[in-house]
Amino acid sequence: MDTQNKTSILVLDDEPIVCKRLRSALEKRGYEVETFFRSADAFKRITERDFDIVITDLKMEGLDGMAFLTEVKKRSPSTEVIVITGFATMETAKESFQKGVFDFLAKPFKLGEIQDAVERAERKIRESRA
Amino acid sequence: MSFVDVFTKFQTILELNNKVLELMAEMGDKLGGDYIFDKQYIHSSCEAMTDCVYKLIYNLDSIAPQKYLDLYNAFKRIHAEIQDELEGKLVIPETDYTMPYRLVSRDFSDVVGAKNANLAEIKNFLRIRTPDGFAITTTAFQAYMDHNQLWEKIHSVSQEWAKGEISTTEASKRIQELIKNGSIPVKLKRELRKSLEDLQSLHSGKRLFLAIRSSAWGEDSEHTFAGQFLSLLNEPAQNLFEAYKSILASAYSASAMEYRRQKGYAEHEVVMAVACQVMVEPLVSGVLYTLDPQNPQQEIMMVSSTWGLGAPIVSGEVSADQFMVSRDSPHEVKGMTIVRKLRQSVTLEEGGIGPRPVPEELQTKASLKHEQLAELAELGLMIERYFKRPQDIEFAFDHNGDLYILQARPLNIGAQTAKLVCDVPSALKKAHILFSGRGSIAQKGIGIGKVFMVKDEEDLERFPEGAILVARNTSPRFAKVIRRANAVITDVGSPTGHMATIAREFRVPTIVNTGIATKILKPGQEITVDAEENAVYEGKIKELCYYEFNEEPFEETYEYRLLRRILKKISPLNLLDPLDKTFKPRYCRTFHDITRFIHEKAVEEIIELSYYGGRDTQSSPLHLDMSIPLDLVLIDMGQGLDTTPESVKVRVEDIRSIPMAAFVQGLTSPGAWSTEPMSVDFGSFMSSLTRTFSSSLATPKYIGQNLAVLSLNYANISLRLGYHFNMVDAYISDNINDNYAYFRFLGGVTDLSRRSRRARLIGEILSVNDFRVDLRGDLVVARVKKLGLEEMKNKLRVIGLLVAFTRQLDVQMVSDRQIPKFLDTFRQLAVNNVTKH
Repeated sequence: MDTQNKTSILVLDDEPIVCKRLRSALEKRGYEVETFFRSADAFKRITERDFDIVITDLKMEGLDGMAFLTEVKKRSPSTEVIVITGFATMETAKESFQKGVFDFLAKPFKLGEIQDAVERAERKIRESRA
Repeated sequence: MSFVDVFTKFQTILELNNKVLELMAEMGDKLGGDYIFDKQYIHSSCEAMTDCVYKLIYNLDSIAPQKYLDLYNAFKRIHAEIQDELEGKLVIPETDYTMPYRLVSRDFSDVVGAKNANLAEIKNFLRIRTPDGFAITTTAFQAYMDHNQLWEKIHSVSQEWAKGEISTTEASKRIQELIKNGSIPVKLKRELRKSLEDLQSLHSGKRLFLAIRSSAWGEDSEHTFAGQFLSLLNEPAQNLFEAYKSILASAYSASAMEYRRQKGYAEHEVVMAVACQVMVEPLVSGVLYTLDPQNPQQEIMMVSSTWGLGAPIVSGEVSADQFMVSRDSPHEVKGMTIVRKLRQSVTLEEGGIGPRPVPEELQTKASLKHEQLAELAELGLMIERYFKRPQDIEFAFDHNGDLYILQARPLNIGAQTAKLVCDVPSALKKAHILFSGRGSIAQKGIGIGKVFMVKDEEDLERFPEGAILVARNTSPRFAKVIRRANAVITDVGSPTGHMATIAREFRVPTIVNTGIATKILKPGQEITVDAEENAVYEGKIKELCYYEFNEEPFEETYEYRLLRRILKKISPLNLLDPLDKTFKPRYCRTFHDITRFIHEKAVEEIIELSYYGGRDTQSSPLHLDMSIPLDLVLIDMGQGLDTTPESVKVRVEDIRSIPMAAFVQGLTSPGAWSTEPMSVDFGSFMSSLTRTFSSSLATPKYIGQNLAVLSLNYANISLRLGYHFNMVDAYISDNINDNYAYFRFLGGVTDLSRRSRRARLIGEILSVNDFRVDLRGDLVVARVKKLGLEEMKNKLRVIGLLVAFTRQLDVQMVSDRQIPKFLDTFRQLAVNNVTKH
């Protein structure tokens, strides 16, 4: 990955700690990262630009994550979405995958797991663009 | 209640017990930094934990009705403390109002503040010279605030401020006024006077002058409140009370209030501890940065110094001599700027400090010599390694030429600068990976150093400062060197095992269970351990280290602090010895204590019921037939024995219980069970008798009874052999996470020195065998957990062997010099008997 064309990632989680730690872990790997802990701000941001990858929580105050990821996929179908949630149930997982979510991680997760998911999503994007 | 019902309840207790231990380990694991967790996680795991502990109490109550009602109170108390933490009310542990530095460690940083804690760790752990002193704790602060009803008063001013009705300056002025006008509670006054007397006695004959500084919460972490609180230098001891109030008031300086608002510090996080130190009268003082914040890639340490006190340098009032010193030994001076130093700040005879002219011949002379710089650099790096961050250190050389560290805190490296030099992805592209993705991270972090293989005890003795500890197994005995290690890598081990806990305690980057570390790594090889991305590189990859330096340490985040504080109410085990008079519900301070208490009592109930309760069930007690003269009674809770209801005796081969079978193998090992008659001198015998009857060894009914409660995966064995009491509690299954073994040995007969000598030997044997050992006089408690099935069986064999072996020790071991001999005998026995099964 060259620096001119970094993979862009948007992170949305209403707990700032998740944003903070994901940002540092992903930036270190050379990704371009924007984080939001208010869904309204994230929602506004996706109307301004597309991201390669979106990482979002499901259960948040205000706009809920499912609605957010639906909007993301509608605007930019090639964006890969990774769902992170502390309330992982079969139903939410199923619904997410039906909406075309790339991966689904239950919180708390290891840094390695999210990095791995991001790498796989990145590979998929690269392959589909090749 | 029928036996079947009681056993069912007991099984439930065991399951809940394991679940609590597992939850505890999982929560502890999150402190290692490899996980991203949020507040919601902390809430839900506390809920799960609370639920299990409550059920434990309920189940014990149903097999021992009304017997331990105090447990409900203990539960309520601990639960309420955890709830308070979760709701954001700060729960300050009950401590004294003052603490001498020799008793302070990082564990007390909540009560003494970071500045005190850091300095005390430097003094007590690193043994570096620092001023004598004591901390005035946050408990004292709370008492002062409560005594003067300050919280309510401050809250109403803060409200006005938050609404924007008054300016920060105005709010600050009003609050500081309130604090300064308070009066010190009598008990606090008394403790302060006592601490001063103690300090005075260390410096007899001299008038006591103090440096009195703030040591607030959050100060000295990444949220550096540097310079926002008050420091008073060379205060005469009799001014302490007034000085204390002024420093408390400075918690509400306008800049501190603003800073807290910006950083999102909650109001309840305003807590002020104070440092009281004996004033050092410096010839020269200054500040050391262990890394140049502007050019971190240059491997240079920066030193500023001047004659007299360093305060003017810190506040930027005077220009000082500057030195650039290499970070590599022998710390060559790479450059210096010597300025003309016309004035210096000195301590005044009547107290306080003031300016004085510098004698002409010293004005243009360098204030530090090369060897002083090298000495300083050495200490600086030691402190940096310990705290895992570049350090900002205040130091002084006194008139005798002795170097004192006055303060150490993490150095903030400008994030932008660091990012420019830290092109981690391309640095890693060039690097040679030795292995990656192997095993699990037990503690996050980066460590660079030379490989040092640890195989045995002697290797541990020789472990060099700053090396990478590489070993086949994890072992709690690494505790004694782990703080000197830059990283730890093992072939085998669990990230939730005992050693992982220790690694986290000292924040040493640790990767366990790699499978191949000892094969791939060579002694002396320089490597970079990336326990963030789980990779090991050849050579020094400084970029990684700088990145870590630059990153906000996760240990300082609110969620981490919250989890750590909550775990203090959950994990520590205080109830070690069931024979101690404090082994009671009301002394339970954590959920672990409650769990441990219940487990112990549940076993007792089972034994009581099945052994003394009648013989009308399938689980009536049976005698075990062994090759050694030991009468052991077995109680099967299910699948522990291969017997028919008609059986009256059990043969060794009938034992299906995995831990029991292994234990018996060890116990009956050839050569272990001494057949020599035991001769005991009369005095020893008498002392053992009184001991037996005075100690509350369960109930008198038990004396002389050897009992084991079994199931397929579980065994609880109580043995009274010769004159000591052994207890083994173990669970072994295919599920590595459930596995544990707990062994307790309590000696009898002979005088205390002989008993504790024997306890030391047993402790030594167990720790060589990788148990985590606690010694208290003649009580030995050893624990091991989370090993694979075969490894666990080996541990039980070791315990069995040891129990047999200790019979020999009772009388034979008369001097400390025999310890090595017995260690050796045991090693030989273990080689012959333990591993070849």
